[in-house]
Amino acid sequence: MTVETAATRSTTPGASSGSGPGSGPGFAARVAERAGAGGPVVSILIPVLAVVAALAVGGVLIAFDGSNPLSVYREIVSAVLTGNRGFSDTATAATPLILIGLGYAIAYRARVFTIGGEGQYLIGALAGTAWVTGAGLRDLPRWPLILSGVVVATLAGAAWSGLAGWLGVRFGANVVISSLMLVYIADSALAWGVRDGIRDPESFVNQSRQIGRASLPELPGTTTHIGFAIAIAIVPLAAVLMARHRGGFRITAYGHNPSALDANEVSNRTVIILVMVIAGALAGLAGIVETTGVNGRLGAQASVGFGFQAIIVALLGRLNPVGVGIAGLGMAGLTIGFESAQREFDLPSSLVGVITALIVVFVVVGDALAGRARGDR
Amino acid sequence: MDVIFKLATLEAAIRLGVPVALAALGALVSERTGVLNLGLEGMMLSGALGGYAANEATGSAWLGVLAGTLIGAGCGAILALLVVTARANQVVTGIAFTLLALSATTYLFQLRYSIGGIPPRVNRLDMTPLVLLTLACVAALWFLFNRTTLGLAMGAVGEAPEAADALGYKVERLRWIATMIGGGLAGLGGAALVCGPLGLFIENVTAGRGWVALALVVFAGWKPGAAVAGAILFGLCDAVQLRLQGTATDVPYEAFLALPYVVTLVALVLRARASRTPAALGVPYVRGM
Repeated sequence: MTVETAATRSTTPGASSGSGPGSGPGFAARVAERAGAGGPVVSILIPVLAVVAALAVGGVLIAFDGSNPLSVYREIVSAVLTGNRGFSDTATAATPLILIGLGYAIAYRARVFTIGGEGQYLIGALAGTAWVTGAGLRDLPRWPLILSGVVVATLAGAAWSGLAGWLGVRFGANVVISSLMLVYIADSALAWGVRDGIRDPESFVNQSRQIGRASLPELPGTTTHIGFAIAIAIVPLAAVLMARHRGGFRITAYGHNPSALDANEVSNRTVIILVMVIAGALAGLAGIVETTGVNGRLGAQASVGFGFQAIIVALLGRLNPVGVGIAGLGMAGLTIGFESAQREFDLPSSLVGVITALIVVFVVVGDALAGRARGDR
Repeated sequence: MDVIFKLATLEAAIRLGVPVALAALGALVSERTGVLNLGLEGMMLSGALGGYAANEATGSAWLGVLAGTLIGAGCGAILALLVVTARANQVVTGIAFTLLALSATTYLFQLRYSIGGIPPRVNRLDMTPLVLLTLACVAALWFLFNRTTLGLAMGAVGEAPEAADALGYKVERLRWIATMIGGGLAGLGGAALVCGPLGLFIENVTAGRGWVALALVVFAGWKPGAAVAGAILFGLCDAVQLRLQGTATDVPYEAFLALPYVVTLVALVLRARASRTPAALGVPYVRGM
């Protein structure tokens, strides 16, 4: 059982700290016991082996393409590790992956399988950009403008995701499918926004105005915007939320045994909507910081698939916030390094996508095999 | 509204609906035995690329359709190995499979065709044989589930695997068969898309139709005929959307782009509670639990 093993480590402290009234010690012990099936060693070993296996397959594909895999991988590593540029680019690329990935991790812990991060990201970017480029608003002083834009984007993402959650609890609509349908609808909303709604009247192509004063400052000594610092700061917050807070306990408890939570008079519906709203808020935040930190304006090609790559990041990070942070940086490093290697060795640009997708498939396979070896489920 | 009733629109509705209908039938077969196939989009896409490549290599659109079906069935076998035999989480595995298929088809396509320039158009099939093929699949599935021991056993495995096992039916084997048939139908749907009137493969050519098909199965209450009707409804929205894009209206054309997905979402919402989900859907089966 993929997700339950992943939840192992931070469930236990939450459960043993006696999570307030409504969940007696017996219940907490049961959850802890259930979660204790896999060890932390296996939990870390599986993603590491998955990465190694995916890189090995990737190496075969690179060799098939006529390049030396070792030189290509050496180029990837040196492009990331050499100089400020590699670090800065990696951190910048990791920012949306970590933010959206944390949201997925929280939702998947509760066994709410949303895959709609891409749509929430776009809606966040659209609403946030509309706000910071809006008439009257764009003349606000810098920080009020940035902060209000972030709030608008976060709320918009949360609402878009919360809608899928609400349709799930109110009508029983499968969240996997409804969250994905909302991606396509968000895509259309973006297309309308940049063509008409918030289009830059001066521009010949479909895009918003420049975000101007809402542009995010860079971290001192780097070319990375402060959105990266925000993403990193949210990692421990998410860890605390999942491990210690009652809400976090509810989330993991719901993931393990929805009916037990019912018996303890905690509403399942609340948990589902809560995790969907958190996931959407983080994706919406990713949308606006990518726009104000990197792109400078919203264009028709804003959908680049961070919302899907972040699924891989969340699973590779074992639905553990720190793991998501590491996985996000790793994925970003691979992407940034590959861009450089691709130029040098003339590789197909889609190869890196195959490698990252293989990683997640191998994680899934590894979990299944480990679960099978343990004899549970 | 009269755009809906034009013959050309209805024709387009069927053309756009048939691939989705085939994929929905595929999802339905495996779901009836309790296997939720969220890799459907990826299987459709794999079948589409396989069908295109075989069509281009042999010059025969029918061989393309056959190749797409076989590749889809192969994808189904991979999924069955993971979720039935190894009992991996069905939701996560399906999503992972689709992500892999999306990048792998893009990679293979780029490898084969981008270097030499524009990918060629391939031989195209008329809609008539494809429609007949779809109807034959509906009839076959109806017959399977209502008139054969195999089909009834499949249904039993999806509703009460313990009971089916106690009666001597092989739960894992039946789920394997259903997942492979389902994958084959999804691959057929993908191949029908590219070897049909389109005659072309492009990156992510299925554009979410596999996911739409999954929603339609819920809408259809796991009934083959209703699933096809739902797919034609989706095709109709898609056709109307394509037609209205060209005409000047007060409504922005992007609203029409979103229309098929909005309708799918609404259909999912309206029918989610009313339709009877197979009781063991998504639950791996372990003997003696």
